[in-house]
Amino acid sequence: MESGDEEGVEKRRVHLRPDTLRSATPATLHLLPCDVPVNRPAPVGSFFTPAIRQGPEGLEVSFRGRSLRGEEVEVPPGLAGYVMVMEEKEEVLVRKQGFPQGSDNDEQQQELLEPPEAALERDFDRVIRASGSFSHFTVWGLETAPGPDAKVRAALTWPSLAAAIHAQVPGD
Amino acid sequence: MDLGKLETDNTGRCRLNSPVPSVCRKEPCVLGVDEAGRGPVLGPMVYAICYCPLSRLADLEALKVADSKTLTESERDRLFAKMEEDGDFVGWALDVLSPNLISTSMLGRVKYNLNSLSHDTATGLVQFAMDQGVKVAQVFVDTVGLPETYQERLQQRFPSIEVTVKAKADALYPVVSAASICAKVARDQAVKNWKFVEKLKDLDTDYGSGYPNDPKTKAWLRKHVEPVFGFPQFVRFSWRTAQSILEKEAEDVMWEDLSTGDQEGLGRITSYFRESPRNRPRLSHRYFQERGLESATSL
Repeated sequence: MESGDEEGVEKRRVHLRPDTLRSATPATLHLLPCDVPVNRPAPVGSFFTPAIRQGPEGLEVSFRGRSLRGEEVEVPPGLAGYVMVMEEKEEVLVRKQGFPQGSDNDEQQQELLEPPEAALERDFDRVIRASGSFSHFTVWGLETAPGPDAKVRAALTWPSLAAAIHAQVPGD
Repeated sequence: MDLGKLETDNTGRCRLNSPVPSVCRKEPCVLGVDEAGRGPVLGPMVYAICYCPLSRLADLEALKVADSKTLTESERDRLFAKMEEDGDFVGWALDVLSPNLISTSMLGRVKYNLNSLSHDTATGLVQFAMDQGVKVAQVFVDTVGLPETYQERLQQRFPSIEVTVKAKADALYPVVSAASICAKVARDQAVKNWKFVEKLKDLDTDYGSGYPNDPKTKAWLRKHVEPVFGFPQFVRFSWRTAQSILEKEAEDVMWEDLSTGDQEGLGRITSYFRESPRNRPRLSHRYFQERGLESATSL
């Protein structure tokens, strides 16, 4: 991020395509203990999934010659998991032009989920949509299972805390 | 050799063995240890032991076993078949160490080098023979690393056994030659019938000898590199040849246990005296940092 761009970023809104939440198909997710600093498709189904073994101490696999131990993590009750992707600029324009084609139902949904002022999309706004949904995923640790202290498990406790601290205090 | 057990799962370690000849439970035995496939960048490494009663050593010699490297593949197969025929006094056992096991050992948080892996595997096999009731009196080992230190370690581990560790033991002692034949037969067969864990299309099985300096092997590696996953598990990721191809032709991978150096945090010393709130990153509360959570307002 360039520093001169910061002001623009502040004003930029993030729009969500609500219809994509309904059409998102269930996805299989793996969270690996490493960064691959690139965005590109990867043949998970042919390289990774078939190599997973159920060992005596849980799931086992290797990635790039390093041993991983995994465990399933459930999305907490009351929450749903979505894989969000950003729409490319051209795509945003196409969708904007084609917007009136959406049914009345869609429009209603739109109003429900987004505050009215955000419904206005500007060229520099970002639009995200759901490309997949999930109710559980696999977390992998390097050589040892991530365990109860895994960052991602702790992260999943935030929504309930957020709900609690933002809830209206009765009698206020 | 029946490698069915290996074919059901070739991601770890697989032990195969002959029945123990009953005479080996009664009489003192001589046992040889050798390995095959230590150098190649492809496929498993096989450790083998072969044993027979001291009183029948001449019969084993009569089979004309020799260092497996001096024999052709068909000669090795023939000799192994003969040893199987002589199952009333010759026994063997072997450990197939999958390339995945080798990679994950050598690339572990705590590095487990190939020499240690070899020593521990050899020790495990000798112990296995003893656990099966073989009366091991003498052990001959083809060395890995320095013979003196290796011999000392083995001797300490098995004080009741007379241990001899030597370079080229596979050419000097027939029982080590026999072990080298078992190992080589198993390794060749494992490579030839390797079941790839991955679902690969257009898989080319013409990978040459598997040695890093073989042009065919190198070409095969370059052809089968996958930008994210690197190679199939058939490849030993820990080999320099494999690593350097990955560095050039695959995406970078940053692991949590590799310190990347604190390049970003360090700046000019004068930066501490300049008042520039804009450059100071606004850190979120520790609660969020500890959970790896970031606000999504600036995607």
